[in-house]
Amino acid sequence: MTRRFDAFWAVFAREVRGAARSRTYLLLGFALTLVVFGLAQAGDGPSAGYIPTVVDVLLVVEVLVPAVAFAVGYRSIADDEIRGTLDVLATYPLPPWVYVAGVYAGRAVALLSVVLVPLVVLGAVVAVSAGPATTVFATHRGVDSPLLYVRFLALTAAFACTALAIAVAISALADSRRRAILLALVGLLVVVVGADVTVLRALTGGLVDADLGILLGLSPASAYRGLVFETVLYVAFSERAGFVSVPVAGIGLLGWSVASLLVATLAIMGRRA
Amino acid sequence: MTDAYLRATGVSRTFGDVTALADVSVEIPGGSVVALIGPNGSGKTTLLRILCGLLSPSDGDVSYEGPPATRPLGYLPQAPTFRPGYTTAETAAFYARLVDDDPTELLERVGLGAVPDRPVEALSGGMTRLLGIAQALAGDPPVMALDEPASGLDPVMSRRVFDILEALADGGRAVVVTSHDLPLVERAADRIVVLDRGSVVVADTPAALRERTGGPLHETFTSLVEADDTVSIRTEATR
Repeated sequence: MTRRFDAFWAVFAREVRGAARSRTYLLLGFALTLVVFGLAQAGDGPSAGYIPTVVDVLLVVEVLVPAVAFAVGYRSIADDEIRGTLDVLATYPLPPWVYVAGVYAGRAVALLSVVLVPLVVLGAVVAVSAGPATTVFATHRGVDSPLLYVRFLALTAAFACTALAIAVAISALADSRRRAILLALVGLLVVVVGADVTVLRALTGGLVDADLGILLGLSPASAYRGLVFETVLYVAFSERAGFVSVPVAGIGLLGWSVASLLVATLAIMGRRA
Repeated sequence: MTDAYLRATGVSRTFGDVTALADVSVEIPGGSVVALIGPNGSGKTTLLRILCGLLSPSDGDVSYEGPPATRPLGYLPQAPTFRPGYTTAETAAFYARLVDDDPTELLERVGLGAVPDRPVEALSGGMTRLLGIAQALAGDPPVMALDEPASGLDPVMSRRVFDILEALADGGRAVVVTSHDLPLVERAADRIVVLDRGSVVVADTPAALRERTGGPLHETFTSLVEADDTVSIRTEATR
């Protein structure tokens, strides 16, 4: 167990160190900061409170977070494949699942730094510029609260990690940089709109007879959007939003993550064939 | 020469309708250097990858029969490439940590102890190869498998690489190496396996092979293998 943890830590540390030295991640963080601050300022959310700010940035975060996740993850395993590092690592006592976990965890640290730092700073701006209606605890509907914003950050982090897991799986399936880019673009489209469109097509086409809230929970973007509506923006509604089934959405995000990492592990195990 | 550390028995490998290896049996004894030679596309790299467990044989099997080890086999790919942005020491440390080895000692053993802070992208081709050998040595594996470790290197560096291989074998390791550098193979190898079109043409000591033609090894080699256009097709298919 100790050896496996050491091996995990070696891979994890390599990823974190690589990210810390990369100017690309810095650039991504800077670009994300510009976009979310620009939107928030345009909507005047920070002066109105946390909930208005979340409303201002939600749509863009929903698109940009998976885009950043794919930028961080699409070459994570493909580069090791192209360099022949996977062949070399196969001769070490490093099980594929430990390698995948190390790569994923290391990239997740980089991704969360890029995604959360701008949003945390935005939250700090709200804290110093919001009106007196903002309180620490949202004791009843219509009341704003920094804890709701923290919940938004946690959900955004979970969504980012799910998108990253999908990107890592796609990276494991690519055997060249060009294919990695193409697959990443396809994967990004699926995450951002593809799954939603499929669910809606299935419903309108009468292919399935299920509750929309449950089906939307199976799509990563809808699950995230629904969870934000149900657990953060609910204070703005007089009744439950009913946008998505919260348990299904939570399980949906977790399921996509676990399934994607499993695909990545199986792809590496299958290289010997 | 001691018992076999690595043994391939009746190994075949096909890629679609292309046969890369057909019924190949070799053994790699401890304390010796076994060289796999043959024309391009003869199946050397495919055989080495199967011996390393990186590729499954379509038929036959490979068994490790050496001493118990954390990492039974060290592998140097044909063109080792390391993640840019890291120094020589950091790269060695990454691999060493996977098997609880000492990265400084690994670098010292291949003569890279003086350049621990050099970025890997600033290493020469020869130094990159040496770093690859340092990586292959991590965990003290009883078997070392090296795919054309001297290709593209100047004669001095090529000789240095083969000197390291000889020293490893003298230390008791089983070394299996593919190479086109016949003079170096002739000097360093204890046994030579000549492959052609996926089959073992002959396997013997360098001295015995020389005796076949009475000249240097390349004359024997030329007389054993057939030049054929299908070779290039096989090369593409086996990569």
